[in-house]
Amino acid sequence: MGDGRAERALRGLEGVAYWAAVAPFLSRLPAPIGYRLACSRGDWLFRSQTGKRNALARNLQILPADLSPAAAQRVARDWFRFASCEALDVMRLRRRTRPLRRLVEVRGREHLEAALAAGNGAILCGAHFGSFNSGFSLLHASGFPVTSIGRWQYKYTAGLSSVQRRFWDLVYRRFRRYRQRPNIEPWPGRFEVAALAAAALRANEVVTIAIDAPPLDSDRSRAVGVAFLGQEAKLLPGVVTLARLTGAPVLMCFQFRSADYRHQVLEISAPVPMDGDVTTAFGRCVARVSAAIERSPAHWVYWTSEHDLRTLELSAPDPAWPAVAVLPRADEILPRRAAADRVPTPG
Amino acid sequence: METVVNDYVSRELVQDQRLLPLADDTSLLETGILDSLNLLRLVVFLEERFGIAVGDADLLPQNFASVNAICGYVRAREPGKQGAARG
Repeated sequence: MGDGRAERALRGLEGVAYWAAVAPFLSRLPAPIGYRLACSRGDWLFRSQTGKRNALARNLQILPADLSPAAAQRVARDWFRFASCEALDVMRLRRRTRPLRRLVEVRGREHLEAALAAGNGAILCGAHFGSFNSGFSLLHASGFPVTSIGRWQYKYTAGLSSVQRRFWDLVYRRFRRYRQRPNIEPWPGRFEVAALAAAALRANEVVTIAIDAPPLDSDRSRAVGVAFLGQEAKLLPGVVTLARLTGAPVLMCFQFRSADYRHQVLEISAPVPMDGDVTTAFGRCVARVSAAIERSPAHWVYWTSEHDLRTLELSAPDPAWPAVAVLPRADEILPRRAAADRVPTPG
Repeated sequence: METVVNDYVSRELVQDQRLLPLADDTSLLETGILDSLNLLRLVVFLEERFGIAVGDADLLPQNFASVNAICGYVRAREPGKQGAARG
């Protein structure tokens, strides 16, 4: 499968079929089998989606640590595997999320409990990283009243038909089922976003926010330059203002997939200090995001989107990177079960 | 009340000094003064200064469109008048 128009349409159909029929079926199989088959689908996408794979491998060059072409290929292949596994995570959000909860260990729950005991709510700050939405649903189902700030991607992805949007709306319903309040979506002209988030925090609830989102054009003037992946990126520091105005502590939150691809660890940090000027305080949060991405790059969603990387003002990687043209098949360079093949177990 | 609100908006929320002095009927939305975070700052200020509670349902553009609109909203939210401010 290449990157022409017809191929893109076929990929869209395959994605819908996977999410609508295959992933629900796989999610009901024993987890080792279901996630292994999801990884196989990820391997197939890795081999067949040449353009996306090459863009991903090329963009990985911006990581501060030098990745060899083979290491970049491993990360790229895991990126596709993780994307396929995420569908199973979502489909396991049933029966109060019990099927997923069996596979996800929450570390740092005590930090969240202590934050809520203080009565000012809590802000869970993270990134578009791993199965973050499933993790938030899982937290809500386990007793924390969670509301998310963020734009559901299917609502603003260009080129989707109304049928596709309706389909993804049905998929995202699984997330919405495990949220305290409707999603708070920061569209241009929606000036009540921060006040709605503050209302949830005043009710001593949990608000989640991903701080790596590329700013909308209307928000670019509010973005600040912060160190991110060894460069300076332009990101929106609203989480700091929200925390200061409400008194809510900011806890970092990342969900890592383990070496067996089915188990995950949801890590919640102690509160991040909010003292100093806005850029300094925000820089601490961004540094944690940057560290999580460097620790396990395949989790970061934006690797395939050069548009988003440009919007963040991350410098473009060298387009002439030689590995792009000579990528071998994944299974030619990476034995499927080799220990070196796996993502390190977090923690 | 208009003077108090105008002073706060002019001092804390206006970034573009060319908008000063701020007229009470200047649109805070069209001029870009009131974005999402500035609305939150303003809500916190109004609640502390005038002892009102701003509910989710009151976060409507017409209630915060200008200094005059804000003052009208606050007066409607004073004790005994709750509910009158909803768009």
